[in-house]
Amino acid sequence: MAYAYLFKYIIIGDTGVGKSCLLLQFTDKRFQPVHDLTIGVEFGARMITIDGKQIKLQIWDTAGQEAFRSITRSYYRGAAGALLVYDITRRDTFNHLTTWLEDARQHSNSNMVIMLIGNKSDLESRREVKKEEGEAFAREHGLVFMETSAKTAANVEEAFINTAKEIYEKIQEGVFDINNEANGIKIGPQHSTGGGASGAGGAGAGGAAGGGCC
Amino acid sequence: MDFFKSGLKTVLGAPEPGHQPSGAETVERLVDRVNNSTLLEDRRDACRALKAMSRKYRVEVGAQGMETLKQVLELDRADSETINYALDTLNNIMSPSQFEEEEDNPQVPMNIGEQFTEMFIKDHHNIQLVLDLLDEYDFRVRLSAVQLLTSLLTNRPKDIQEIILVKPMGVSKMMDLLSDTREVIRNETLLLLIKLTKGNANIQKIVAFENAFDRLFEIVSSEGFSDGGIIVEDCLLLMLNLLKNNSSNINFFKEGSYIQKMLPMFNTPEDTEDPGWSPQKVSNVHCMLHIVRTLVSPSNSAQIVLDCQRIMKNVGLLDSLCNILMASGVPADILTETINTVGEVVRGNVGNQDFIGNVMAPSNPPRPAIVVLLMSMVNEKQPFSLRCAVLYCFQCYLYHNEMSQANLVQTLLPSSTDVSSLTSGQLLCGGLFSSDVLSNWFSAVSLMHALIDNPIQKEQLLRVLLATNIGSSPVSLLHQCTLLLQQTTKLQTKVALLMLLSQWMSECPAAVSAFLRVPGGVGYLVNQTCSNEHDENEYLLQGLSAFLLAICIHFNDDSVENYSKDSLKQLLVKRIGMETFTAKLSEVSKHELYNKAAKHPQLRAKIPAEVLIDYEFCRLFKVLESVLVKSFIVKEEASPEEAGERSSPGGAALEQYKALIRQQDARLQELVAQLDALLQQNQSLQSALNDSLASNSHLKDENTLLKAQVSAAKCVPSTDTTPSQDNARASEYEARIQQLTAEVTRLNDLLRTSQEEKKSAAEELEKLRNDQDDLLVLLSDLDMKVNEYKMRLVSLGEKVEDENPEVPEPNLT
Repeated sequence: MAYAYLFKYIIIGDTGVGKSCLLLQFTDKRFQPVHDLTIGVEFGARMITIDGKQIKLQIWDTAGQEAFRSITRSYYRGAAGALLVYDITRRDTFNHLTTWLEDARQHSNSNMVIMLIGNKSDLESRREVKKEEGEAFAREHGLVFMETSAKTAANVEEAFINTAKEIYEKIQEGVFDINNEANGIKIGPQHSTGGGASGAGGAGAGGAAGGGCC
Repeated sequence: MDFFKSGLKTVLGAPEPGHQPSGAETVERLVDRVNNSTLLEDRRDACRALKAMSRKYRVEVGAQGMETLKQVLELDRADSETINYALDTLNNIMSPSQFEEEEDNPQVPMNIGEQFTEMFIKDHHNIQLVLDLLDEYDFRVRLSAVQLLTSLLTNRPKDIQEIILVKPMGVSKMMDLLSDTREVIRNETLLLLIKLTKGNANIQKIVAFENAFDRLFEIVSSEGFSDGGIIVEDCLLLMLNLLKNNSSNINFFKEGSYIQKMLPMFNTPEDTEDPGWSPQKVSNVHCMLHIVRTLVSPSNSAQIVLDCQRIMKNVGLLDSLCNILMASGVPADILTETINTVGEVVRGNVGNQDFIGNVMAPSNPPRPAIVVLLMSMVNEKQPFSLRCAVLYCFQCYLYHNEMSQANLVQTLLPSSTDVSSLTSGQLLCGGLFSSDVLSNWFSAVSLMHALIDNPIQKEQLLRVLLATNIGSSPVSLLHQCTLLLQQTTKLQTKVALLMLLSQWMSECPAAVSAFLRVPGGVGYLVNQTCSNEHDENEYLLQGLSAFLLAICIHFNDDSVENYSKDSLKQLLVKRIGMETFTAKLSEVSKHELYNKAAKHPQLRAKIPAEVLIDYEFCRLFKVLESVLVKSFIVKEEASPEEAGERSSPGGAALEQYKALIRQQDARLQELVAQLDALLQQNQSLQSALNDSLASNSHLKDENTLLKAQVSAAKCVPSTDTTPSQDNARASEYEARIQQLTAEVTRLNDLLRTSQEEKKSAAEELEKLRNDQDDLLVLLSDLDMKVNEYKMRLVSLGEKVEDENPEVPEPNLT
């Protein structure tokens, strides 16, 4: 299917915080209650629409376990967006955010958009990390923040789409070098022939709507 | 060599006269120089000399120079020439191949390169040093570093993969080299990546993530697709590595629209005069076909396969493949592989199966491509591998598709009037009864695949009649197959027919009874099963016969008089015995070729002798074997009781049914009664409901009335108490009344008791008065007596002092 842009995402964070579930909810609209350890990295894709433009998201879901950390590092450089996920019912996953962020900043390109996600918002009774704490962390480190539930699908679409909007805006501002594919952005076949990608629609991202899985 | 010698002379100085230094000594001096010389030029020259010597004196240079060369990589990075010599020297030392110079030197162990590699990688930092050198833009350095890594990977693939995987940016650095504008480096990098990605899913994913497919397709396209050189083949080999058994990457390949990009590879040049197929082109297309098959391999998850198949049809890839099938001048091995590929692209996908079902071959008259393919399958003169491929393709065409199965059987039925053209059915029947063993086998298995999971076609195929000899009446296909089974002496034909009949008769009582009616059929099976030949293939035949016999019993509907379920079972128990029977049955799955066939849907026979058992038959056997054995054992245990009463099986069955009907009747009546009761209950409930509704409304009325009264009562000013207050007051009053009544009763009691007391007191008083009266009387008596005695005393002369003398106490008691 034709697309205007292709964005590469990675999902990172401690093991068991729900990274694979977020991806599954986003691509397949279903929830898998059993924790199945991700080995290495898994791939998923979906088409979305931003500002009337078809955007293809290619998402690499990484393993959270420490043993796979070095493998995960290989994925930072080529990604345009990262979803950094913690579990609101487990304080330690929030405490480890700094390590993850350092890792990401060190290995990624400086323009990578990072979205901080507090997952499992449906488990309010077991909450250990306040929403305000997440917001404060995000503010301090210049991240976008959201609480989601991969189980109820609350905010899942928004998390992926808002990240894409950020990237899209950065493209419009000319921050990203879209001709360098190492940035995790690719211009679609229809776009490259049309020419003049940036500059034209500088109004920013408009109403986004989730497209079906292609 | 003179040049080297003079070079050495300049480096080492003139040798002492009369003494020719040995290789080891020279190496030692060179290493010493690299270590200790302060001048860069000296170190560089020494490295160059070491490189020159490293081919002939590999052991010496490696043993003495390894540490030194590693230091050079670290400390002399600024001088690319020195680094280049050091890298080349290391590469020579660890080279996996044997050099010409050392061929006649028996002291060099065969795996010397591997041994040095092991030493080199003990310290992981060394790999990092080489990886860092990939960043150098200098052509020689970069190339040498790539070549060194390739050598290391060849010697110790697993170890190096693990080391590189944990080096940050390790894989990414190599991927960057794929974009190097210098073709030599790009091409060497391709070789490196092929080695790096082999069998390591994590590295494969990173390489794919780093846009490998884009890069590779760019290269393939710039090199002219299938007409390109060996670089195209290298690109395709790398792609193959990335996709093989890696569902994540296959998914990425599919989602990234790379299937579309494969299309130009298969474009057959039209109208141009045949340029012939160069060996390189054959290799390239082979790889490309291999990639297609990797995407739709039956071992992948069904969802991925279906998606890929759909895309392949939609973008025209399947069409292109079919064009290759129909094109002329295609080399046989490409044609074979294309047929296999087409098979897997359509396997289990109805849309794609229909598509190839409608492809017409450009023959005269035009025939369906399927028919043309089957013609090759039953043609002895065609290459063996091609015939196997057609079988696989045809099986894929029938797989999970009731329509294509029905279409095949349809071509055999008498109703089809199209006599003029050759049909698939006719071809298969011809093949089934031809003198060529392989044709027999291929045709029987093809027919068998038209019956899998398809009870309708099993019955339809029973209707097929064959005209054997002119003049004689036609016989059924099943009859003919059974006869052939008895007549033939060829193992493959026998096995094929037994497999066909097993598939046909399983779950199909009509086919079983048709088989039982064929004279000699059962006898043959019993004899085969009992046979006592000792040979792997004989065991197989015995097992297959036992299997078919078991199917005859298990799916028997007792419609053939002499071979009812029970009589056949008796036969089996008496002639063969249960234990022998199960033992024979288990022989089937012990056959080597059975196990080979069970692994993959495609028949993977290298020589015609390996053609024996079909994958789908293995599946049937696996499902039914335990069922059949179990059903016999259960029934055998139950049979002693049954056997007695079953003198007339028909009557017994009738009795059984009667009992069943009676049972059902009783149950029916019970249910009717239950229904009546429920209806009545329902009615009574309904009336009760009506009553309660009526009373409810009545009460409502009353309630409203009372409300009205209450409100009316409220209108009276004196009693402005609310009903609840009234109630409270009333209860208060009531309580008080109760209290008072209690008081009254208590007082009454009190009164009664006091009255009684009074009465008893009065009685007492009365008694006392009486006593007093008595006493008074007594007293007066005594008084009188005293007076009398006084008188007497006086009279007697005694002086009496008192008027009232002391009177003795009267005794009251």
